[in-house]
Amino acid sequence: MNKDRYQVLVSGKEIAIKQEPDKTLLENLEDNKVEIHSHCREGFCGTCRTRLISGEVDYIIDPLAYIDDDEILPCCCKAVSDITIEIN
Amino acid sequence: MKYTTFSPVNNDALTEPMFFGNPVNVARYDQQKHAIFEKLIEKQISFFWRPEEVDVSKDRLDFQQLSDSEKHIFISNLKYQTLLDSVQGRSPNIAFLPIISIPELETWVETWSFFETIHSRSYTHILRNLFTDPSEIFSDIVDNQHIKKRAEDISQYYDDLIFYTQIWQTHGLGEHTIQGETYNITMRELKKKLYLCMNSVNALEAIRFYVSFACTFAFAERELMEGNSKIIRLIARDENLHLTSTQHILNLWAKGKDDPEMAEIAEECKEEAAQIFMSAVEQEKQWAHYLFERGSMIGLNQDILCQYVEFIANHRMSAIGLGQPFEVTSNPLPWMNNYLHSDNVQVAPQESEISSYLVGQIDSEVNADDFGDFDL
Ligand code: FES
Ligand SMILES: [Fe+2]
Ligand SMILES: [Fe+2]
Repeated sequence: MNKDRYQVLVSGKEIAIKQEPDKTLLENLEDNKVEIHSHCREGFCGTCRTRLISGEVDYIIDPLAYIDDDEILPCCCKAVSDITIEIN
Repeated sequence: MKYTTFSPVNNDALTEPMFFGNPVNVARYDQQKHAIFEKLIEKQISFFWRPEEVDVSKDRLDFQQLSDSEKHIFISNLKYQTLLDSVQGRSPNIAFLPIISIPELETWVETWSFFETIHSRSYTHILRNLFTDPSEIFSDIVDNQHIKKRAEDISQYYDDLIFYTQIWQTHGLGEHTIQGETYNITMRELKKKLYLCMNSVNALEAIRFYVSFACTFAFAERELMEGNSKIIRLIARDENLHLTSTQHILNLWAKGKDDPEMAEIAEECKEEAAQIFMSAVEQEKQWAHYLFERGSMIGLNQDILCQYVEFIANHRMSAIGLGQPFEVTSNPLPWMNNYLHSDNVQVAPQESEISSYLVGQIDSEVNADDFGDFDL
């Protein structure tokens, strides 16, 4: 089921944030003052590479940067469930 | 094995390793062993730009206002970048193309190198605007000790791989004596040279530009040399994509998703790979020292630049499984990100220069008033 708000748990800092539906996960994290590094904001540089511990995301742009199986690129995806992530 | 420009073997490219399999014959992209390289080609081509599209004429006035130490910083960085792109404009082609075995990777390398030549041409565009005769600047790249030292470090892994490949392709595997030196050519040794070379290229694309980038964008933060900054932003966007490609290659090997022998070599040479990266970090810090030895510039100093190099290195090293060796955890130059953001680098059509105008302007007087409140 598609809700338009999800809980995003940033481990280490243990803060829960709301995912605004029309923003990328990266933008949502920034709006919530989470320190996350980004360059291209378009999925090709890998700077925003983040570990997804639980939950699911959907890509708006095809990610080109290298990511491991348990990693996501917040600059080009959205949460589609409650998620827990760990920022490098 | 002798290189052939069109291998008659009717092989299945989907079963070839990225390197050291059969040479590529048909340049086809309807099927891909590693689809990522085709996507990178598309992305890179979508970035196409020409240095002449960026108006750098206002920079000439800004440059005259810079202090001597700032001029030293600006020009030295341009020299270093010219060196890097001179190497990158030819070396991936010469070193990798003769040993690549899949068409999408072959075309990626050619596309990548082509963009490095755009970078090289843009340094001439920038320098011609600043100096009536930039030859002194260019010739110092081969004479200046600090630049020379870097050139050696950058070219040695390429040269080594190229030389061993040449011996292999002309004489085959085995022991060969060439001009009094004996070389033992084994496939393992060739692959090891390739692995180390790829790590050195990866480190180059990952961090070697960032000291220069930081200086350029620090000038731009003060609204100085903004034409130059616009060009460097376009270059930085390309470099990020190049880095992505070398990270993919290294990870495909390490995760056993390509040639299984390369996975063994990756494991065996992990220390050496980390060492290549660490010494690139060290050299960049020395470069920062050289830049600031005649005085700092507003907004930047040697310490903060070195921290930035460490910060970037942490990210880049962890992307290829080398961990995060440095303490620094938060970005010491957060404003850098604004200049590395892909959306901020579009070239507006009204900024395009007609090249005939460009040639003419070199000899013409430019006054600050001519620009009024013209904004870049
Ligand atoms: S910021 Fe470049 S991949 Fe996310
Ligand atoms: Fe380049
Ligand atoms: Fe590059």
